[in-house]
Amino acid sequence: MSASDDKSGDIMLIPGAEDTIDPATFEQILEMDEDEVEREFSRSIVYDFFGQADSTFKKMESSLEKKEGEYLKELSELGHFLKGSSATLGLTKVKDSCEKIQHYGSQKDETGVKDITEKESCDKLKTTIAQAKKEFLEVKDVLKEYYKDTD
Amino acid sequence: MPTNANLLPASKPADDDGLLCDLIRLTPVPTVLLDASLLVRQVSDSYLLISGASDRNALVGMQADDLFNYTTTTTTLPAFASARKVIRAARDTRSVHQMKCVLDTGAAWNLRAVPIVRHDHLRCIQMEFLDITDDHRKQLELEERVYANETFRILVETVKDYAIFMLDPTGHVATWNAGAQAFKGYTKADIIGKHFSAFYGKEDLADGKPERELRDALRDGRCEDEGWRYRSDGSRFWANVVITPVYKADVLLGFSKVTRDLTESRLAEQKLIAAYEEASKLKSEFLANMSHEIRTPMHGMLSALTLLLDTQLDTNQLELAHVIQESGDVLLQVINDILDYSKLKSGSFSVSQDIISVTDIIQSVFRAHQACHKPGVKLESVLDPHLPKSAEGDSLRYRQIIQNLLSNATKFTEEGYVRIVAKLIKEDDEFYTILTEVIDTGIGVPTGGPGTLFTPFTQFDNSATKRYKGTGLGLSICKSLAELMGGKIGFHPNPEGHGSVFWFTAKLKRCKQMSLVEALQDKTLSTSARSTALVNPMEEMKVVAADKRILLAEDNLMNQKVMLKMLIGLGFQGVDVAQDGKEAVTKALHDPTSYDLILMDVNMPVQDGVSATKELRDKGLQIPIVAMTANALKGQAESYIAKGMTGYIAKPVDRSLLIKLLMNSLKRKGPG
Repeated sequence: MSASDDKSGDIMLIPGAEDTIDPATFEQILEMDEDEVEREFSRSIVYDFFGQADSTFKKMESSLEKKEGEYLKELSELGHFLKGSSATLGLTKVKDSCEKIQHYGSQKDETGVKDITEKESCDKLKTTIAQAKKEFLEVKDVLKEYYKDTD
Repeated sequence: MPTNANLLPASKPADDDGLLCDLIRLTPVPTVLLDASLLVRQVSDSYLLISGASDRNALVGMQADDLFNYTTTTTTLPAFASARKVIRAARDTRSVHQMKCVLDTGAAWNLRAVPIVRHDHLRCIQMEFLDITDDHRKQLELEERVYANETFRILVETVKDYAIFMLDPTGHVATWNAGAQAFKGYTKADIIGKHFSAFYGKEDLADGKPERELRDALRDGRCEDEGWRYRSDGSRFWANVVITPVYKADVLLGFSKVTRDLTESRLAEQKLIAAYEEASKLKSEFLANMSHEIRTPMHGMLSALTLLLDTQLDTNQLELAHVIQESGDVLLQVINDILDYSKLKSGSFSVSQDIISVTDIIQSVFRAHQACHKPGVKLESVLDPHLPKSAEGDSLRYRQIIQNLLSNATKFTEEGYVRIVAKLIKEDDEFYTILTEVIDTGIGVPTGGPGTLFTPFTQFDNSATKRYKGTGLGLSICKSLAELMGGKIGFHPNPEGHGSVFWFTAKLKRCKQMSLVEALQDKTLSTSARSTALVNPMEEMKVVAADKRILLAEDNLMNQKVMLKMLIGLGFQGVDVAQDGKEAVTKALHDPTSYDLILMDVNMPVQDGVSATKELRDKGLQIPIVAMTANALKGQAESYIAKGMTGYIAKPVDRSLLIKLLMNSLKRKGPG
């Protein structure tokens, strides 16, 4: 089944979707829906993700602000966690940013190869978390529109 | 002469007194009466009788020495020298002298000389010859017996390595030796009179063993047993016990009981056995580990290669990749062969008893070879229509033999044909005996070769530039497999000219329940049809998935949900979920047979997927474990395979890649 066969509309036609969503991955999720109008399964997954992302970003921000204990490690783990979820939905931009958060948290550069200082990590984390959050909100709008959610 | 004067008056009244005369003449003890000058004055009738002299008068008046010379000729009386010595001694000392004489004939005599003295004058000497032969013999016997008894007594009493003692006919201890005391701990005073069942353990007592042993000893003349015996302090030792009944003149005196302490030799024996078992266990563990260690990365390499082959490769790359794949497959085969061979050698190899159809197996192998046989070789199969549609056997092993023989045949045949012939050669109420032949027109086997054909690690082409690759294990594995199936394997040259005929027989059990068989057979047929035809991988997946159980270890609830949905969509009905590595380990080890595959996220809290996998592998879990990872880092994913994972899949999980990976892993699981 391909996107064009989808009777309930193609998400890629929604503005902003093209850069932020990997169609193949997302379609794979859509294919799991038993009812192509209700889309109960994919909808629940997407909303699970919204919840996860909101709480994860909150944790990230407070952790980076407090800088308590092994906060960098915690940030790296949070980055990894959200990376996994966003990857599953094919939310490429969020996923890429989360991967960077994971690397910075373990004091590596964005490709995870070179070591960086704690200070550099913090600076980069601050901007990257903000960026990831922004990307998340963008794709959230796209997804909401897709599920005709007018909240 | 005073002597004569003294003698005469004395003899007078003696002659007159009939009583005195009778005393000398009629005494049953042969007696000679000598006077002081040692002349014979009187002899008793009994003496006359034993000396053999007929006339008393001929003897009376003789000098004593002459008398004894005379009598020695009869040889019944002792030597003259002894008698003479006794008489002289009696005369000179005036006291009674006696001497025991043993003749060469075995006769024994007691010679006694009694001097009769009156007023300090020797009047006469009474010389007695008493035959003590019987007493003497008895004495000798007694001495001998005492000696022998004493020797044995000392022997038995001083032996410390054996408990040797006697039981009375009812089994009560009658004697006790040092050995018995040393290793049973009872002193003589403690145990004599007690029943010997005191040495036995509760179990033996309940079993009536002591009584039985006495009965057996009486019946068989001897009873030997090995087992635990107990000391006075309650500790036990491993003993060898021999009980023998002792009779004297057909009357049972009791039993002799000889007990040996075998504890040490038994310990040594056990140590030896334990050492051997340990060594053989280590060997098989080593083999299992090694093959596992080698196979795991091999599988990983090959699955990665399969994925690589599906990517856009140019002709050159594709060719190289194919070379890697081919070599990898051969290497895997070699490893599997070695593992099979070592399993067969250690006897830990068994054939399963499924319902199989020989026709189906042969056709399936045949089809597989048809796809890749050399252009100059004709591939043919001749199947006996009488072959049973279903029989009990191990399809995998049957297939393995045919596969092996057929690939050997195609390997060594450049032109002509390779023909596979199967026929039913015997059928009885219980078994079908099926002969399968693989006939080729290939290079054949050199003369003198057939003898070593089935010897492991032998190949005819042993030159440095070996044209044909392989371990030389194939045929020897086939031989063992055929034997496991109750059959034989053999070779003879192709009667149609050059080439070989390899044949094997297998005894397959008849199926009992026909209705069940038909149902199962339908299933076999349909699955084999499916696996051979090129069908939709999704459909194929669903068939494979139907009876498989998967453990999904994933901490991210959202991903868990998606994976679950995807797996159910692929036809898996039994999917369990673990929230982290630790839970995965617990679940997988709870019942190692409950899952066919584990999908393992790598980064998980509590215990990560890599360490969970390592733990599972360390604990012997063999099932495929597939890593799921979003780590895009180069080389990292490969390292999971080195750590015991069977394969890996990148996140987000692509469904068609997942199908490929699952199919590969689940299908390979079988022979492993």
